[in-house]
Amino acid sequence: MNDETDFDVIIIGAGFAGAATAFQLLKEGIEGDRILIVDRGEPIGSKNLTGGILWGRELDDFEEFLGNWEMDCPGIERCINHKKVGFLSNEDALFIEGRFASWDGTGGTEEPSQRASWSVLRAKADAWMAEKMEEAGIFVMAGMKIDQLHIDGLDHGSYDARDLTDPAEDSGKGGAQKWKVDNLPKELVDKIRNGSISGIVQDGDIMTSKVVVIAEGTNSVLTRAYHFDSMLHAQSKDDMLLGVKEVIHLGKEKIDERFNCFAGDDERPPSGMAMELALSLYRDMSHEAWEKYPNTKGLYPRCGGFFYTNRDTVSCGIIVQLKSLPEGLHTYDLYQAFKAQPAIAALIEGGEAIEYGGHLCPEYGLHRMPHRFTRDGAVVVGDAAGLVFANGMQIQGMNNALHSGKLAGKAIAACMANGDVSAKALDATYTKSLKASYIFRDLKRFEPATKFLNNPANFTWVPELVGKTANRVFREIGEEKVTAEKVLFGVRKEMRAENKANKKGMSLFRMLKLALMGRKL
Amino acid sequence: MSESIKLGLFTYDIKNGLGLIGYNVDEHEHAHIIVETSKCNDCSHMMCVWGCPAQCYNFRDQGLKEMKFQYEDCVECGTCYIMCDQGAVSWNHPRGGFGITYSQG
Repeated sequence: MNDETDFDVIIIGAGFAGAATAFQLLKEGIEGDRILIVDRGEPIGSKNLTGGILWGRELDDFEEFLGNWEMDCPGIERCINHKKVGFLSNEDALFIEGRFASWDGTGGTEEPSQRASWSVLRAKADAWMAEKMEEAGIFVMAGMKIDQLHIDGLDHGSYDARDLTDPAEDSGKGGAQKWKVDNLPKELVDKIRNGSISGIVQDGDIMTSKVVVIAEGTNSVLTRAYHFDSMLHAQSKDDMLLGVKEVIHLGKEKIDERFNCFAGDDERPPSGMAMELALSLYRDMSHEAWEKYPNTKGLYPRCGGFFYTNRDTVSCGIIVQLKSLPEGLHTYDLYQAFKAQPAIAALIEGGEAIEYGGHLCPEYGLHRMPHRFTRDGAVVVGDAAGLVFANGMQIQGMNNALHSGKLAGKAIAACMANGDVSAKALDATYTKSLKASYIFRDLKRFEPATKFLNNPANFTWVPELVGKTANRVFREIGEEKVTAEKVLFGVRKEMRAENKANKKGMSLFRMLKLALMGRKL
Repeated sequence: MSESIKLGLFTYDIKNGLGLIGYNVDEHEHAHIIVETSKCNDCSHMMCVWGCPAQCYNFRDQGLKEMKFQYEDCVECGTCYIMCDQGAVSWNHPRGGFGITYSQG
């Protein structure tokens, strides 16, 4: 029976989603030599970049393959026991810092299960996971980009996947309705979009499998071309964030000292700090850009900062919503403004940048998910499916990737056992469990938060108001003190007098509305 | 407002940044992104230029009369594909084993 196809399952992409699918399939009893996982990076991991934290202990479920991952995996850097949220303006900075002894197993409890968030470097982590997959008997192929999916009875020489990923010309993407496919016969397109998938095509060679798992990550060409994303739901400026970051080397001792981290011992990993920041650094830059490029007048970049400690480096970067980028501002210059803010500059002083990079982060929310997660003989998992959650307090993608991979592994094994890997059967298992999982429940519960987060106030006057108010409340000048509330309203009055945008944006009505929205975080 | 926050004073040394990344550049005939630069002449916004974190797109802001695209420094993020609404960018991943090689990630 087994020999009808080259493999039982072929997984495209060896990131967390793909690896979790593979390990789960092993756990379900699928033989390692019936699973092929391919990745376009060589070595595996070399295409990946993160500006995030791995939350939770999803990897514990794969202990039999990964062993003591938190001590042994080189890309799992520090256990976060220390979290900061910050408000930065050009002149002021306010940080709220939580230091939780119980988080790292060094304080209130030594229970490892309390260690639940990790700074990661994906090039290293993915390479290590690939090694573990090989050790477990899975076929792992690095440096292999998949051009097409194999569809029964289709001549794969007759089209290029790129032919199917042009947005319709007049649609302006955001509100677009469909992909433009004008150079392929309708019958062929129909087959590409709805035929039964049974393998992969690389450089003209076909490898067949019962099920294909698309775990390509963000910006997935295959999910577009094979119509998991109808254009209505497709990746567009509205839902894509660009992360730009540097990895800066400081040395382990300096990091332990500067960020007050536990150095780690034989049993416990070193602890570290994670910081996320609201930025109002870009007002003057934007105003100047508007003068030069009036087309995008009124647009402030919606930009957040992040800063994480790794073992001997720090990850320092920004993430910007592509729709909010005005003409005239380069994304890397937005990063520079963040890096140069005095409070951040102090943290990286004496460090040396050793890597720079950029990566997209899909933040679709429920309303722009792929319109389907399965086809006959295929499923899509992780970032490729846009399974990223953000509410301003947490951004989670990597644990969602791992979790969706597990669900896919379970579902695929069950469907194969029943001899039915149709979209219907995969939907009844994979899609159903995905929608019942915490991934979807989180997305649903915090959907209103997106509205709050996208409010321009949070990228203009809010961080400035917070910073200025804190500045005055904390300062002792030996004079009579006034209440914080009075200071706040004093600062508000000054800021409103400064310019028209503030006057309008900081009206009592708007501030109240914003506060009400903020409760949903 | 202090002078230091003016535009132009926050200029990331992008050439230096790109120099920190490893690449295994493929030959020209296998360039993974193809830009029909003639379509760029009518574009009013050049959002690819502003969005691209690797300065692969150079145009009027650099005093050029036509779009100049180079794939060699591409970090394969996909921003240009998302930003372009002129249908000028044909986007794909590089061939297996080619393109960017992050060592940290």
